Amino acid sequence: MTPPPPGMKSPPAAIKPPPAGGSPWRLAWRRLARSRATLAFGGLFLAVVMLCLLAPVYAREIAHTGPNDNHITETVKVGGKTLEVVSPTGVPIGPTWHSRFFLGADANGRDVAVRLLYGGRNSLEVGALATLITMLLAVLIGVLAGYFRGVTDGVLSRLLDVIWAFPPILLGVALGVALAVGGLDLGVVKLHSGSLLLPALIVGVVFVPYVARPLRGQVLSLRRREFIDAARVQGHGHMRILASELLPNLTSTIVVFIPLMLANAILLEAGLSYLGAGVQDPNPSWGTMLAEGIRLTPGAIHLVLVPGLMLVAAVLGVNVFGDGMRDALDARA
Amino acid sequence: MIKRSRSSGWLSPFLAIVLAALLVAVFSACGSSSNSSSSTTNASDAGGVTASSPTLTVLMGTAPDSLDPALGASTQSYEATWLAYTGLVTYTHASGAAGAELIPGLATALPTISADGKTYTFVLRKGLLYSNGQAVKASDFAYAIERAIKLGWGNKQFLTGYIVGAEAFDEGKAHSISGIKANDATGGITVKLTAPFGPFLNVLAFPAAGLVPASTPMKPLPNDPPAGVGPYMITHVVPNQSFDMAGNPHWAAEAIAGIPGGHSNIKVNIVSNNQSAAEQVLNNSADVFDWNDTVPGTLLGQVHAQASSRYAQEPTVSTEFFFLNTQAKPFSSQLAREAVNYALDRRALSRLDGGQLTPACYLLPIGMPGHPNGPCPYGDPSAAPNTTKAKELITQSGMAGTSVDVWSEPHPPHKEYADYYASVLNAIGLKATVKIVAAAQYPATIGNIKNVNPQTGWIAFSQDFPNPVDFYQLLDAESISPTENHNLSQVNDPHIQSELASLSPVPASKLNSVVPRWQALDEYTAQKAYIAVLGYDNVPKFTSERVDFGALVFHPVYGNDWSTLQLK
Repeated sequence: MTPPPPGMKSPPAAIKPPPAGGSPWRLAWRRLARSRATLAFGGLFLAVVMLCLLAPVYAREIAHTGPNDNHITETVKVGGKTLEVVSPTGVPIGPTWHSRFFLGADANGRDVAVRLLYGGRNSLEVGALATLITMLLAVLIGVLAGYFRGVTDGVLSRLLDVIWAFPPILLGVALGVALAVGGLDLGVVKLHSGSLLLPALIVGVVFVPYVARPLRGQVLSLRRREFIDAARVQGHGHMRILASELLPNLTSTIVVFIPLMLANAILLEAGLSYLGAGVQDPNPSWGTMLAEGIRLTPGAIHLVLVPGLMLVAAVLGVNVFGDGMRDALDARA
Repeated sequence: MIKRSRSSGWLSPFLAIVLAALLVAVFSACGSSSNSSSSTTNASDAGGVTASSPTLTVLMGTAPDSLDPALGASTQSYEATWLAYTGLVTYTHASGAAGAELIPGLATALPTISADGKTYTFVLRKGLLYSNGQAVKASDFAYAIERAIKLGWGNKQFLTGYIVGAEAFDEGKAHSISGIKANDATGGITVKLTAPFGPFLNVLAFPAAGLVPASTPMKPLPNDPPAGVGPYMITHVVPNQSFDMAGNPHWAAEAIAGIPGGHSNIKVNIVSNNQSAAEQVLNNSADVFDWNDTVPGTLLGQVHAQASSRYAQEPTVSTEFFFLNTQAKPFSSQLAREAVNYALDRRALSRLDGGQLTPACYLLPIGMPGHPNGPCPYGDPSAAPNTTKAKELITQSGMAGTSVDVWSEPHPPHKEYADYYASVLNAIGLKATVKIVAAAQYPATIGNIKNVNPQTGWIAFSQDFPNPVDFYQLLDAESISPTENHNLSQVNDPHIQSELASLSPVPASKLNSVVPRWQALDEYTAQKAYIAVLGYDNVPKFTSERVDFGALVFHPVYGNDWSTLQLK
């Protein structure tokens, strides 16, 4: 089996029968509850999500500005002093620790804190959508390829090979740059170049093989098990076997993959946006904020530190939580 | 010339690290030789650069579009090629207005021009040699012009539009240009024009009109540029990374008056991160910062504190503006165009450019004959904008809510301009989104009416030659083309066309007599709000400590004159 991408842990190899004393889910929950680190990092990720969801409230009630509002020639009062948001030589103000420009401004005089939260919304939204796309496509492909084998497996596996042949970041950049100007027009489906669905689609498609491959392997193993034979003997059709026998046995694997893919999707989105192939200007994302900030470092280091730390918090949170879930769901762990 | 800027900075951190490592290795390995070469400047003063002359490192943010003179049309290309491909005429190697003066290059004198302004007669200097040792012939001039046309030089319209038979040659209807006659025996060269064109001599001063041997292949040679006549020759081209300017071994004997022989070998490195480039020059690990780039505001304080004696801001004859497509909504409405001009806060745009932009409203910049002196029609560009008026105009125009794509490229501050501009358009009632295209593809993308037809976007234009005709090709209806469109606002104004027809033939020597008419035309253009001018660029002249900062000429057409670059 091809190894999973960097940062992703292997899924549980097989589902063990439930030990006496509770269902597998109940046991998993007990294990999860015992892991304080898992809960703490899950909480950290949840906190980041909550903060980002509150972005409009923060912008309206506290910062009194939107994420794309420029304040280049304006001034702000800090501790009785009147400071320029952007100096005449183009240096933005640093953190004021007050309601306006709490985390400073960027080169366009935009409130970094507001953009950070809105950027987080965009990053998480893209990450979540991408994960959804990845999981839907990967489950579909993995299950069909593993269950039907033969020609179906051959065609689908070669398709995965094609995607897998490209490093994710390069494939993402290629797709992102190609679609960044004109958007996507498939006749029925039209996506504007500024739509968040575009980076979500790109990131989602890029990661499909990394989930579909292990799932296919697991389906290949499961389809030889007695309970599948029993279902066939009872005269169940393919769809029923897939829906009622196979998928339930894949659930824990899928559940484990979700946080891991989410972390990877957020990271890839940030990378693509940093390179100009993800979320498009002037919409913020943590990746675009890093790209905008890097040219002003070290003079305005906050422009890099702030989105960078937020990205680390989100990815670390969801990754450690995902690891904990994997351990909890894997009886051997 | 449309100013090209560095490509997207996405690789910049990696490039910076790799480059820094390479520089450390190179300097540590060659430290002794560079020290010894510093003491050889007297030898090079004799006229011409030799292998033992010191080597100075020049940084460029964007690679030249081509180092083949028949193709190169970017500021970065001209900066190098004008020292290696001298034409029949060239510019004085001087700063300021003096640098715009034309002097004989490979011709013995400035040409005689017929009374009708349509025939130019030159005589080629005798005994000239190319950098490869071949003898220069008068007929090589015709070949150089043919080559520039055939290979598609970016400004070939100045040749095909005026030289008799050049258009037919371009279209493949003729094997040579009938309007150019050359006599190798006498050195006589005659150029016939279809109509008088005032700046034609300036056109012949382009490096593209610099002579190359007739044996030069009729194909692009960007990585192995052809032989030329000039103080330098271009060698060791590594695409998108570096190239060298070495002394032309045959130049010293030629010693054309007014063209310095140079003092140093030049190593040009492409560094796409201007922060890194500025730090290298500040720390003396490179010698010259790219004048097309901006020293980041966060470094300016340090530059002023540590390097005030080797940093200056030089005004350039260039204009930055947002084009407004007059053939598409919403800017087909003059009221909408006026609204943009009212709403832009040029002070903000100047800050985005690190304070290097002089707010303005006219297309013709300061330093260009015809620059108007009157007040701007839509408010003082150095004062606060009139957003309220702009909103009213958008409402009156019926364009409120119209979607607008704002085009720009990723290089700072052009992306920041676009973000700011989009926020302004949204604030006055339009619905703007930003489209960023990689720097290398940007001119071709926005110049594509057929497939893209951009509504508005950023562009900068710096003079190709000191004549307002150059700037007005941007609003000349004849410049509109489905691809490679230069008239981005797609202006087709009868008044502009009739004035251009009347003013274009005025020769450079009589340009002063028509300055009031150019001023009136430029005021008319501003009134019609065909473009929204941001301002005029000031650029950094920034060198290392070891460079003689005072001796380095900042040329008004070609920027830093590397032939004047020397050690203290």
